[in-house]
Amino acid sequence: MKPRLTLRWIVFAIAAFVMNFPVLATLVTAFKSSGEVSRNPSLWIEAPTLENFATVLTISDRLNVYHYLWNSLAAALIGSVLPMIVAFPMAWAMVRRGYGRAILFPLVVNLRALPLIIFAIPLYMMYATLGLLDTRLGLGLLLAIVNLPLALMLLVNAVAEIPVELEEAAHMDGARLPRLLFKVVLPLCRPALITTFVFGFITAWNEFLFGLMLTTREAVPMTVGASFFFATSGGGVQWGTASAVMVVAALPPLLLGLIMYRRITGSMVAGAVKG
Amino acid sequence: MAEIRIENLNKSFGAVSVIKDVSLTIPDGDFCVFVGPSGCGKSTLLRLIAGLESATSGRIVIDGRDVTALEPYDRHLSMVFQSYALYPHMTVKENIAFALRTAKTPEAAIAEKVAKAARILRLESYLDRKPGALSGGQRQRVAIGRAIVREPKAFLFDEPLSNLDAALRADTRVEIASLHKSLAATMIYVTHDQIEAMTLADRIVVLNEGQIMQVGTPRELYERPANVFVAQFLGSPKMNILPARAAEGMIVLPGSSSRLAAPAGWGGLVAAGLRAEDCTVTGPDNGVLSGIVVVSEYHGAAQQLLVDTDACGRISAFTTADRDLRVGDRVGLDFATEKLHPFDGGGVRLA
Ligand SMILES: Nc1ncnc2c1ncn2[C@@H]1O[C@H](COP(=O)(O)OP(=O)(O)OP(=O)(O)O)[C@@H](O)[C@H]1O
Ligand SMILES: [Mg+2]
Repeated sequence: MKPRLTLRWIVFAIAAFVMNFPVLATLVTAFKSSGEVSRNPSLWIEAPTLENFATVLTISDRLNVYHYLWNSLAAALIGSVLPMIVAFPMAWAMVRRGYGRAILFPLVVNLRALPLIIFAIPLYMMYATLGLLDTRLGLGLLLAIVNLPLALMLLVNAVAEIPVELEEAAHMDGARLPRLLFKVVLPLCRPALITTFVFGFITAWNEFLFGLMLTTREAVPMTVGASFFFATSGGGVQWGTASAVMVVAALPPLLLGLIMYRRITGSMVAGAVKG
Repeated sequence: MAEIRIENLNKSFGAVSVIKDVSLTIPDGDFCVFVGPSGCGKSTLLRLIAGLESATSGRIVIDGRDVTALEPYDRHLSMVFQSYALYPHMTVKENIAFALRTAKTPEAAIAEKVAKAARILRLESYLDRKPGALSGGQRQRVAIGRAIVREPKAFLFDEPLSNLDAALRADTRVEIASLHKSLAATMIYVTHDQIEAMTLADRIVVLNEGQIMQVGTPRELYERPANVFVAQFLGSPKMNILPARAAEGMIVLPGSSSRLAAPAGWGGLVAAGLRAEDCTVTGPDNGVLSGIVVVSEYHGAAQQLLVDTDACGRISAFTTADRDLRVGDRVGLDFATEKLHPFDGGGVRLA
């Protein structure tokens, strides 16, 4: 029993190490001085330093990490909240009234299967006409479209899980549609809404392609901004600074995931109807 | 409170006709029970009245107003669902108060009404729990509580006691009966439990395959069933049906030499119903019929026998337990003509 347990832990540890190696390497490199990076490739840091983070967090005339973070935050919030607002009533109408179930639902869900780059050129031209290029709103709207399929899928499942008797009971209790939706259906979809938000936010935050394509100066998101740090002072890639900026960029979605993790799982309908 | 009138109501799901030309008037303040075998359309009829299903044709009139086209929330009825349908994210208190809040009742009045309902249903100590943390019986009581805090035009109950144990079922039944008295409200109650139907109802509606078989007080239905279906549906054990004929003013029973005079109007007699308790067990040579005991059940106060009479089939009868009759014993069965229920070839009562 004991030796087998130990063996199991060793295997787990090796697997965890192998799978997380890139993360560890980035993290370690972020704390090495540029001199050490070229000299010492090991995971051991000889002289830990915060110099790379200082570089990243200092506003220079060319680079402003706070600006990128703010752009990402704004765009990711639009890109994750807007699909929820749109998908919630849509999911209800599809499940309970059957609207769009035959065509719209499969269509929207399959949107996810298409490589989004095929929208790039028409979108660029449309955005140029509408003045949405290089704006946080423009980027957010696009990210909302990226997130819509997942939001709709999660919410359709959540609404379908609610016993229809609950809605009938609410009608019998005198509730019209708005009260039914906001006081009964919405609270019961809470876990799905939180999941939608977390996944949507993370997807939006980490999006790179459209960020690169649709922004130039004002609305550059963190993912694109991070790449600017790779070659700060001309010459080769500054690995230390690059690692530090990636750590900074990865922190917000990571924190969000950790905070929300416990709320993502679990069903709300226990005790509603007899089993 | 209101009278509910149903006129020539039909309901089909696709090609399947589930409610067939039902007409019924439930007077104001009546306790009306729908009974019938599983799948006969009791829930569907109730849901039509509630507005949760839309009628294929016909009219529903509540309190003099045609509500056939109205949505459930405009009909002012309250309903207890077969499956409770409690709001799982709300506490018991919020569940009970939901309809009152929907109607924008002042908070003080809500608190008072919720407290009163909780007292009646003995839910006071659970008010702050969520439904998930309640037993089946407690959930059922919350579902009833949610219906009774309001003052609807009528109450609809769909098998509200089906998930309770025998003791709680009896208690809650008494509770509902007293509730009906104190509220003097029109109530429609669906069940397939005969005891519930007989004890609660002012009026019973027996349904079969989407049609009304008979409407009447429990006593009328039991004592003068309009057809063989109702006769056999109410009462336990179910009514014996004897293959009797009427000839020359006499009732002819196969395998019997007794001559019973046929009352007027029994000319078309094809079947005679006889309840087990109206059938006396006698010595083998005394009764109208005789046969051999094939099943003997000891019920404590009485003994229930199933007697094989050969020509008249198997007949159930009650006798006192002290006789200790056993399987294989030969017995006689005796009964009076006035205890027989005469039916014609279509199963319809003759007189
Ligand atoms: N939505 C529906 N679609 C198709 N058929 C239905 C639907 N609802 C009910 N039915 C059918 O209508 C008939 C009556 O159903 P209903 O639920 O009214 O029966 P019930 O008398 O309440 O039975 P139980 O005692 O089992 O609850 C059944 O044969 C059922 O299969
Ligand atoms: Mg039913």
